[in-house]
Amino acid sequence: MKNTEIAMTRNRPYWRQALDENWRRLRRNPTGRSGLILLLIFALMAASSFIPPLISPIYNPMHGVDPHISHTTGPSLRHWLGTDFIGRDIFSQLLAGARVAFMVGITAAFMSVVLGVAIGILAGYAGGWADTVLMRLADMIMVMPTLLVVLMAAALFGQLSIWTIVAMIALFRWPGVSRVIRARILSLKQRPFIEAARIAGASHLRIMTRHLLPNVLPLALLYMTFRVTSAIIIEAALAFLGFGDPTTVSWGMMLQWVWKTGHMFQAPYWLLPPGICISLLTLSFYMLARAMDEILDPRLRRRGES
Amino acid sequence: MSLKRYIIRRLAEMAIIFWIIQTVLFFLFHLAPGDPLSRMVDPGMTHEEEMILTEQLGLREPVGTQYLYFLGNFFRGRFGISFHYGRPVARIIAQRLPNTILLFTTAVILSALAGTWLGKLISWRKENRTDKIITVGALVCHTLFLPWIAMLMLWFGAFKLGWFPVTGMISPELWILPQATAPEKALDIAWHMILPMATLFLIHFGSYLLIMRSSMLETLTEDYIFTARAKGLPENVIRDRHAAPNARLPVVTSVGLSLAFSINGGALTETVFSWPGIGRELVFAVSNNDYPLALGCFLLIAAVVLAANLVVDVLYGYLDPRIRY
Amino acid sequence: MLITAALAAGCRKVEGRLLRVGLASEPKTLNVWLASDASSRAVLRLVYHCLYERDPETLAFVPWLAESLPVYDPAGKTYTIRLRQARWSDGRPLTSADVAFTVRLIKEFKTPGCSRWKYVLRVETPDPHTVVFRLKKNFATFLSRTLQISILPAHKWKSVANAARHAQKPLAALMRFKNEAPVSSGPFVVRQWRKGAYVYLTRNPYFFGKDKTIAGRRLGPSIDGVLFKFYGTTDVAMLALRKGEMDMYWHHIQPGYMSVLQKNPHIRIVNSPKSAIYFMGFNTRRPPFDDVALRKAVEVLVDKQFIVKRLLQGRGSEMWSVIPEGNKRWYNPGLPRPGQGLNRKQRIKLAFRILSSAGYSWKKPPLDATGRITSRPGELLTPDAKPMAPFTILTPPADYDPARAISGTMIQEWLREIGMPAMARPMEFGALIQQVKVRRNFDAFILGYGRLPLDPDYLRSFFHSRNDRPRGWNISGYHNPEFDRLATAAQREMDPEKRRRLVFAMQAIIAADVPYLPLYLPTLNEAVRTDRFTGWVPMLDGIGNRWSFCLLKAAKGGK
Repeated sequence: MKNTEIAMTRNRPYWRQALDENWRRLRRNPTGRSGLILLLIFALMAASSFIPPLISPIYNPMHGVDPHISHTTGPSLRHWLGTDFIGRDIFSQLLAGARVAFMVGITAAFMSVVLGVAIGILAGYAGGWADTVLMRLADMIMVMPTLLVVLMAAALFGQLSIWTIVAMIALFRWPGVSRVIRARILSLKQRPFIEAARIAGASHLRIMTRHLLPNVLPLALLYMTFRVTSAIIIEAALAFLGFGDPTTVSWGMMLQWVWKTGHMFQAPYWLLPPGICISLLTLSFYMLARAMDEILDPRLRRRGES
Repeated sequence: MSLKRYIIRRLAEMAIIFWIIQTVLFFLFHLAPGDPLSRMVDPGMTHEEEMILTEQLGLREPVGTQYLYFLGNFFRGRFGISFHYGRPVARIIAQRLPNTILLFTTAVILSALAGTWLGKLISWRKENRTDKIITVGALVCHTLFLPWIAMLMLWFGAFKLGWFPVTGMISPELWILPQATAPEKALDIAWHMILPMATLFLIHFGSYLLIMRSSMLETLTEDYIFTARAKGLPENVIRDRHAAPNARLPVVTSVGLSLAFSINGGALTETVFSWPGIGRELVFAVSNNDYPLALGCFLLIAAVVLAANLVVDVLYGYLDPRIRY
Repeated sequence: MLITAALAAGCRKVEGRLLRVGLASEPKTLNVWLASDASSRAVLRLVYHCLYERDPETLAFVPWLAESLPVYDPAGKTYTIRLRQARWSDGRPLTSADVAFTVRLIKEFKTPGCSRWKYVLRVETPDPHTVVFRLKKNFATFLSRTLQISILPAHKWKSVANAARHAQKPLAALMRFKNEAPVSSGPFVVRQWRKGAYVYLTRNPYFFGKDKTIAGRRLGPSIDGVLFKFYGTTDVAMLALRKGEMDMYWHHIQPGYMSVLQKNPHIRIVNSPKSAIYFMGFNTRRPPFDDVALRKAVEVLVDKQFIVKRLLQGRGSEMWSVIPEGNKRWYNPGLPRPGQGLNRKQRIKLAFRILSSAGYSWKKPPLDATGRITSRPGELLTPDAKPMAPFTILTPPADYDPARAISGTMIQEWLREIGMPAMARPMEFGALIQQVKVRRNFDAFILGYGRLPLDPDYLRSFFHSRNDRPRGWNISGYHNPEFDRLATAAQREMDPEKRRRLVFAMQAIIAADVPYLPLYLPTLNEAVRTDRFTGWVPMLDGIGNRWSFCLLKAAKGGK
């Protein structure tokens, strides 16, 4: 604990050392470890999603249909998880869905955290009217339920592409991050090392990027992990309601197909996998985030560890 | 600053925020492609008839004029007329809102009670195996994908067991009978509520439990708990009388906000269970290009969330005397 | 305990002969002027009736509220119609004044459908049971199109019309009238509509047809009432049907359910032909589809049989004309069927011949010198030797209609086999309509009309050059003076045989020029329970017709 404190107040190498230290703690934390293992499995799924279409075009998740099957069938050797209502392979769809989920979750979270950190640092460091305007804006966006906003945009502007959805999620999820970052910056601003940098003649930009940013990075990373969860859920919910990108095979889309084509009661082999995957992937990110939270907030750390 | 002045300032801020949201949404709706008429595609309708209809529905006036109408009506308590139903938006919302409130308030309150209770108990056994199992269970509940678990509930409760109804809020067969009594009808609604409520309970319960647990753990490091221990008070008294009341604060915030945001998740739950509430209506309105209705529903949601934020902040001060405005 | 008590309450058996009908959504209104959705129309079909009905077998008109078929006087251009002795559900007589009122309302407020009445000069009511329509000129679709209106009770709607007349937007005011307790001329009357839950209809004591024999059928109704329930998804509806919570599902059922439903001994699936068209439309205003040769090449490349077999799972048929085959009177059976029964290789060869003789070429042709098909052809070059610009095929999203969306993807793949840069793009329905009908900025699209009128007058709307304008129905932008001439003549032709020949010629022109490529026609699958009621009347567009509800009987030994 002492180490981190000192590292936080000094400069780069120590900061990196702190990250290493935290990484080690994360691996020892049981919640964090199980989260990591789960994540690894899903990452493997996403990585192997390119394989089935190479084996045979009938395994293309979007438009590969098995020529001998024209309705949904249960698991078999040829189709490990069965086929959907027109004979597409559910297992290939599930793999493709993992790729989409990672893509959506990580990019949306990254974008929203970058936005949130930038705005948070700016608001906290600049203060004054910039602070007021930015924080009012944050308040305003915070009261808008993201799912419904994206839903409306999707309905209004025809079908949104997956990247537009990602951008919209990012655009509506930054306020929470920026508020926390701003609060942290406000307290950091009073620390002697900032004062020292200022006296040494560092520009504002330099102070913000070199001195403040590294100190809020662990916090930003933590929020990013939480944001991944919500981004995945929002995209899945959107697709489930029928407003997703129709050219992408995501898990939410698969659930929507089960539901809309009326196989909810007939095809459990089709209903279960996408739901389990969404729930487990969000669970793994959430567990990781909680473990990070525990590590970064030393008050809850186990006695034996610090 | 006095509480009164604080509330007034917040209300003024809320009004401005609300106005901005309203304006942005209005223009968003009117710039978007697709109009309500495209839903009424009927090859029998001639070009001329369609033009008459657009004119009559007020779709041909300049957007600025439409906006002024909209604002003017809004201040007179009129929220427009739904294209789809041809009835005032306020009337439709008034019909759907009680159903949403009934379902969500019940589910949130029940899960908050259960969550805080269990959270309190297990926090006292930190590191114990029960604690671990329950915490992991709560984590899993919390991250379950809502529409999926709703579908599973239907699959299991209505299809496999066949105990619960598959859809809606009431059994028409009962309600059309002149001799049906009020308790019978209430029971019928309760019966229809079980599956959607169980779904919501599962999701919310997990998060309340986790919040309560970590809040309790945080409280336990406070000085007054040490003092209480030093005084030799029994453990359950420390837990229930000293730690729990303070630890409940974050749960209160969360309950307030999740009630407000319930309309958000409501879109999913209500859609799957065909519950005639506001969330389902919003999804429906949005996919039908029924702007007035969608706008009305969305503004209602924004207003509720804004109000809930204020109430939570004020309540916070009331529950925790340390906070001053 | 709560559960058991609730179970007891919920499992209460339906008493009497109450028919429970499932609808896919709640009716939006009971006001005829606003009702454009299937559910509202379903309920209103039992409430307001027309002067004439179609016979379920021959589809010929039989007198309904009218006493006999109209008498046409070519000299004075008048139709004279005698009305039956009928009453409204509040006991008031239904007279010629009601008919005249309804017509005047349409003409005055310019309601949707009003343009069909443009050629009617005026309505006269010489006595309470006689209506005379005076036409401006000969008009072939008077009986089959114009007169297909629901007659409204004048004594109820007069005050509504008066109030609407003084509103700023009269038609909008009329459409916004809340018609919660309509006075009915049909076999049932709306007793109660609980929003979000059900619509309950009971028997109309004054129904004119009770115990009357019309078109050889003795009308009832012999059931006590109809309870409309709403099911958000087909899944849930099918479960309710299997559990016996409803007696009929008034909606098309997707092929995926058939095997489960067929296993249940109490469920009968009724297949009916549909008056509908599912087609691919081309934008003939701009390249690439301004060239008829390219459209014809697409026509042979599209495997309609695959779509029917695969996407409709055999429950439907291939379409070769813009008029569905079930519409026997007007369907032209003699049209060519390019590409029928060919396999993929033959299709590619045929399309290759069509395209190369029209001047198209390839960087690497799909057929090599020996006539064998190459696996990956080079891109298609237009007659002026430029590579063809990529084009999109717009389709509704898969959740709206999987068959149409996936047809789009399949067609994309087929067109790519010959080097056409096709891209299928699913688009939200409203936005799609906006794009093709209002902005007219598209290359090709796949759409369907599920409720085509039986009268072929719609051909004129679809392809007459006058309708090529924003929001006009000539979405393809098709221009052909010969077609325009035939269409106008067909509208005026009073001799049914001559009109039929004109309509046949119109279909032949469309088949030759392919502004629309008709794809498939799904069969309408509906399901009913057989344990409580029998006597559903199968008909074009399904069993949910007025005959069924008048003829249904309680099943023998039924609960």
